[in-house]
Amino acid sequence: MDNAIEAKGLTKYYGKLLAVDHINFEAKKGEIFGFLGPNGAGKTTTIRMLTGISKPTEGTATIMGYDIQRQPIEAKEQMGIVPDVSNIYNELSAWDNLVFTGRLYDMPKSFRENRAEELLKMFGLYERRKEKVQLFSRGMKRRICIGMALMNRSDILFLDEPTSGLDVQSVLIIREMIRTLNQQGLTIFITTHNLEEASQMCDRVAIINRGKIAAIDTPERLKRTVQGLQSVEVAFAATPVNALKDFKELPNTREVVKEGDKFRLFTDDPSSVLASVWKYSQNNNLKLITVNTLGPSLEDVFVNLTGIRPTTEESKRGAQSK
Amino acid sequence: MINDHIDDKGTIRGSHSSHFMREIRVAWAIAAKDMLTYYTKPAALMFGILFPFTLFLSFSIGRNIPLAQQIPMLIAQTLFFASSSIGPVVIPMERANQTFDRFLTAPVSLLSVLMGKTLAGIIYGVGISIIPVLVGVTFFNSQIANIGALIACFALSSLAFSALGIMFASIPGQTPGQVMMPLNFVRIPLLFISGVFTPVGDLSTWMQAVSLLSPLTHTVELARYGLGVGGFYGPVINIVVLGGYTVVFVFMSIRFHVLSQRKE
Repeated sequence: MDNAIEAKGLTKYYGKLLAVDHINFEAKKGEIFGFLGPNGAGKTTTIRMLTGISKPTEGTATIMGYDIQRQPIEAKEQMGIVPDVSNIYNELSAWDNLVFTGRLYDMPKSFRENRAEELLKMFGLYERRKEKVQLFSRGMKRRICIGMALMNRSDILFLDEPTSGLDVQSVLIIREMIRTLNQQGLTIFITTHNLEEASQMCDRVAIINRGKIAAIDTPERLKRTVQGLQSVEVAFAATPVNALKDFKELPNTREVVKEGDKFRLFTDDPSSVLASVWKYSQNNNLKLITVNTLGPSLEDVFVNLTGIRPTTEESKRGAQSK
Repeated sequence: MINDHIDDKGTIRGSHSSHFMREIRVAWAIAAKDMLTYYTKPAALMFGILFPFTLFLSFSIGRNIPLAQQIPMLIAQTLFFASSSIGPVVIPMERANQTFDRFLTAPVSLLSVLMGKTLAGIIYGVGISIIPVLVGVTFFNSQIANIGALIACFALSSLAFSALGIMFASIPGQTPGQVMMPLNFVRIPLLFISGVFTPVGDLSTWMQAVSLLSPLTHTVELARYGLGVGGFYGPVINIVVLGGYTVVFVFMSIRFHVLSQRKE
């Protein structure tokens, strides 16, 4: 058995609404499997079915070979879950949160206390173990939540948007933690909006859109499916007011997207666009501070498959001002 | 436990009997956590303690009822309100914080989870209701005339009413108020048909027939027998009816939560 997770024809209706539509996928043992999709695509519904919170309308899911519906106890013993909200007991101390989780898994006292100590030390929270977690920062609560998911030494860790809404330091700590856990042999199933994060961390990703799997592969192979999508990224010392409009009129430019203080010009001919941008900067007396030619990103794959660009709001506003 | 062993993950493994013991241990862990976390929440204090004591004072002050008769009234009210308040406080709050999902993803049955929640209600109800007994015995010369009836009163009533609260907590709400409101539509009318404020013997014949159907009637009656004040139906009928309600409420609380879970 090479697969840690298998979903076969997994389907979920809420009344007449089809939230997840006959999806099939496998996550192999020891891999980081990313589950990407826009809001409402069915990511959380899928994770809820895989973890036994929600019953599928149709289809099956197995966790390390155990059917989550027919062998729920065995399947649940194999997994740890970190939901999108840190569902910890704010009224309890960090220590009590971990120890209570150990009791839910029926771990004997000495085992659960040793494990709680080990995890709190690993997450740098041992010194604050007696404090109620309501006093903790969001990042610290997230670490406690991950610690609770690891109490039972699970084989699979489900993470639903683990870094969403956290400060940069907490994000880096959690990403490093996920990599370390994976190196120790844990299979990671991660849902995220952060395509860059998925690209950097995941061995394979599935892109779900409107309840259906649009693609499953390694990030690099998925990028190759849109190989024609090359782009030039430029930034100026002072952002020109009409740049978005002007760049769209440059020859060989298919689409222009403003990403923060940078502009990304999609093209089939980067060298000609580079020359045009250089000329534009000279004519308008603009100082170029960044010039990059980029291959397709996982975001491009995502946009290609879902038709949704996560960063189009500014470009939309730019287009409206035109 | 003789054949049990601990696997490499630290989980106790063993026979079917140890599986049962595992469910009991987990249920107790859930109950202990609920006690530590929710017993002092304002909603639990208000609906479980303040509400029955206030109602009791409202209906007893100024009425010429002997104190010996008032103690069973207070016992019945505190058992009724305190036991049935924990589920409706705990479960919606856990839904709102998504901590209820922890139980659904842990390797335990829904039955164990509900057992734990019910146990937390039982302990709360018994803990609060024992105070009027102690006060009555210590300061007002109340006598425990029938310890068996009193134990049956506490055991059956706390279990039945705790399960009643758990049953209502299957209503999909995320604040205690969303569950307490429909629950109070049941609890408050029951107070007036159950011989709490007027002994069943003093009620009209048709009201006596109605009161027979109320579980609270049998709690009051058993408390009366326990403290030697005397009842109307007899302790055997009280125990049989209350026992029947206990079975029904426990069964329905499990059934309703299973149905609610299917909608997830």
